[in-house]
Amino acid sequence: MPETKFVGKPATRVDALEKVLGTARYVDDYRLPGTLVARALRSTVPHARIRSIDPTPALKIPGVLAVITSEAFVNHGRFGYPVQDMFMLAYERVRYAGDALAAVAAETEEALRLGLAAIRLELEELPGVFDPRAALEPGSPSVGERPWDSPDLPRGNLLNHYVVRKGEAEGVLADCEVRLDEEYSTMHQEHAYLETEGALAVPWPGKNGVTVYANCQSPFLARGNIVQTLGLLQENVRVIQPPVGGAFGGKDDLMYQTVGQVAKLALLTGRPVKMSFSREESIIASYKRDAMQMHIQLGCDPDGTLRASRIHAVVDSGAYAAITPFTAWRSSIHAMGPYRYEACHVDVDVAYTNNGYSGAFRGFGNTEVCAGIEQAVDELACRLGMDPIEFRLHNCLRPGDATPHGQVLGEDVALADCLEQVRRISDWERKRSAIQAAQGQAILPGEIRRGLGAAAVFHGMSLGAEGADFAISTLAINADDSLTLTSGLTDYGTGSRTVFTLIAAETLGLQPERIRMLRPDTDTSFDSGPTVASRSTVMGGNATRVAAMRLDSLLTQAAADLFGCERMQIVRHDESYISPDEEALPFEQVVQHARSMGLTLSAQGRWDAPENYWSFEKGEGKPYFGYHFGAQVAEVQVDTGTGKVDVVGFWAAHDTGTVIFPQGVLGQLYGGITQGLGYALMERVDYDQGFIQATNFDEYLIPTSLDVPEIVGVFVEKPFTPGPYGAKNIGEPGMIPTAPAILNAIFQATGRRIRNLPANLERVLLGHDLRKEGSNMACKLGLQSKGG
Amino acid sequence: MKIEFTLNGSPAMVEAPAGISLLTLLREYLNLTGTKEGCAIGECGACTVLLDDRPVNACLVLAPQVGGRKVITIEGVRAPDGGPNDLQQAFIDYGAVQCGFCIPGMVLSGEALLAANHRPSRKEIRTALAGNLCRCTGYQQIVDAIQTTALRRREKG
Repeated sequence: MPETKFVGKPATRVDALEKVLGTARYVDDYRLPGTLVARALRSTVPHARIRSIDPTPALKIPGVLAVITSEAFVNHGRFGYPVQDMFMLAYERVRYAGDALAAVAAETEEALRLGLAAIRLELEELPGVFDPRAALEPGSPSVGERPWDSPDLPRGNLLNHYVVRKGEAEGVLADCEVRLDEEYSTMHQEHAYLETEGALAVPWPGKNGVTVYANCQSPFLARGNIVQTLGLLQENVRVIQPPVGGAFGGKDDLMYQTVGQVAKLALLTGRPVKMSFSREESIIASYKRDAMQMHIQLGCDPDGTLRASRIHAVVDSGAYAAITPFTAWRSSIHAMGPYRYEACHVDVDVAYTNNGYSGAFRGFGNTEVCAGIEQAVDELACRLGMDPIEFRLHNCLRPGDATPHGQVLGEDVALADCLEQVRRISDWERKRSAIQAAQGQAILPGEIRRGLGAAAVFHGMSLGAEGADFAISTLAINADDSLTLTSGLTDYGTGSRTVFTLIAAETLGLQPERIRMLRPDTDTSFDSGPTVASRSTVMGGNATRVAAMRLDSLLTQAAADLFGCERMQIVRHDESYISPDEEALPFEQVVQHARSMGLTLSAQGRWDAPENYWSFEKGEGKPYFGYHFGAQVAEVQVDTGTGKVDVVGFWAAHDTGTVIFPQGVLGQLYGGITQGLGYALMERVDYDQGFIQATNFDEYLIPTSLDVPEIVGVFVEKPFTPGPYGAKNIGEPGMIPTAPAILNAIFQATGRRIRNLPANLERVLLGHDLRKEGSNMACKLGLQSKGG
Repeated sequence: MKIEFTLNGSPAMVEAPAGISLLTLLREYLNLTGTKEGCAIGECGACTVLLDDRPVNACLVLAPQVGGRKVITIEGVRAPDGGPNDLQQAFIDYGAVQCGFCIPGMVLSGEALLAANHRPSRKEIRTALAGNLCRCTGYQQIVDAIQTTALRRREKG
């Protein structure tokens, strides 16, 4: 890799200054005169038929200016991707406790509260279904009148079914001398972005259009949904994304409902309308990481050679499909882990239930299956008496191997390097054997035990064979010789604007300070697909590089014209263009000459992902154009008197390709591991008969600074040819193997496998929960206003 | 009612209802939106401000309680030139900022610690931040930034 000037060097995040000064304006910080406050009326029952919603009494309350129901929208506001099963406001059915039924806009918070209370609502409660396996049984209550909108989808509550097939797993399993057959489960997880959902709609004069400021992940999807459900022309809807206070996959579908509601209310009233969720409303209404039940069978030879895997997982999609068909497909692709098998069968069923609803969350289906397979692999290694890292090294995918999907991998497979590096930096062998020697089989009462555990990850980059995969960036030179850069991909805290800026600076040889990267705005940038699935660095980075190369080509043309030489003879040094006679001209002068030549000093760059394909029937193909690999080790201390687990050390080695923004990549890794630690030990979304139990941070616990150990991260920078400057993505993979690494460490410490997440006190101490099912039906649906 | 106090070093007087929180007073009556609401129940620390130099959750303080007292918000943390002070600059340099929503609270908790403890250990820094939730960063670079600032302030004397 040639020497770089900005790529891989410490850099300043483009939006850090406004954030440390407190001047960054998030959507709830916008203050426009005459703004109305709005909120949705949400269902307090999980499943019901809507008999009637009468807004008349609410409209009589002084200060209430508008009340809307699904009637206010085209086709009742039906939307959703890939399955159109949601509405801007519930139509015919309530499918979960928290489903939005109506929305009110009012002059004051007091009028809003009275207005919501005055809406006359007639619901006929229906029996709900809350266990995904039960939902798939014949005779189970059906979730919704018409839960699916596609004739291709199976009937009943079965939303999707995905398979991976290689060989005859059953036969090979029967032939294996060592086998494992276990059940694992993961729970829903709340994104817990610190900034709750918010949107502000500003009607245009004459009410023929609307501008919406929203902290959604993908402004283009927001615009598309508003256009479709409000029946507006695309040119009459503009969506601008202000700074977003975290998303992690969680600010898609619910936000599209929210933007539709505020846009409609703004157009009806002719006034700006703002909706800001309280934490309680956010947790009750928003979708979660899906919960998953997994049945895993593995078989290997006595020498530790893995031969077969057979996995059947059931995914709880909850009340709506949202993006779960995609996450579940990703689950099926990653369910067997990054290992070689003679035979592999994966089946993933996706079920509708009346438990909230599920959608995208960092890892996107892989975090869930990794928690299963990485424990299962560990269990098998321990049964054989093999070191768990050695077992993984013996079986892991290496350059040139074929995956169980039939994809032959290239050279960019660094999993073995990651496993070896993490073994070295964690001092694995010495610590594991010291712990083994120091701790007896039997646990003394109240003894503090220690343990180390490992887990590995592979993670397909970008969308894979699930849809069109491209990104577009633009670069333009302004009159003052500064540059403006846009991308249709959004930065909700990830650092992608900084990554794109550094790539443009590197490619053009210009100081990053010269380049101003705009925030996403549907009027100034180009649709680049959703900002999900760790797409940004590779997709948006490549598009930015293409745009910068095209602009550079224009400037080189101008420089050649100025020097009277061939383009090929021009050399660039810092911000200067050098002639064959070593005459140097600064950037500004070349730009000035380019203008005098009449050149258009702007460029658009588009990058399309390499082709993928997948046969959904045969369960084979090339699901992703490349994979990120990584390995992590956790060290835990377990108080066997209380069941309390402290993670006291953490090491991670990830194959990121070339690192572009060093502080950013470390931040993604540390943050991902911290979310994985929460997933492993404390984060617990309980739906009790459809009622969510924890609705704020007093009960839904996320890791604090004291829960997280000092993390040591290293990067295996094996350049990834299709990536910009050889970069891979990092957004999701840091989180994925964390939970199983911790659970495997708990096993070394206690000899107990916690196969159901999270490993909370009672599960670690007793192996089961203390709380009885159905003991707490109370859902705190007293949805209070934000700031009230 | 009339609430008089010292806000970011200057006298402030606001006419506001007695029943509102300091957070509402700052955001809605004084338009100081750097102080954020994350939970409204005193769990997340996004609304941390300094009240007589001690960090408090503004969502749990009744507005009239600040009468006659000294309040510092993120808008009051600046270098003399109006730019970022050394701690804020360290947050930038160490990559301690991602989505940024917790950062005003983190900076104020950091300043409160550094005022009380010139030589904090990493453990002491983590303890001082335990009331400030961050969902993005995993805290490590925030701890780095505070630790480095402590060292630099000691060197400067």
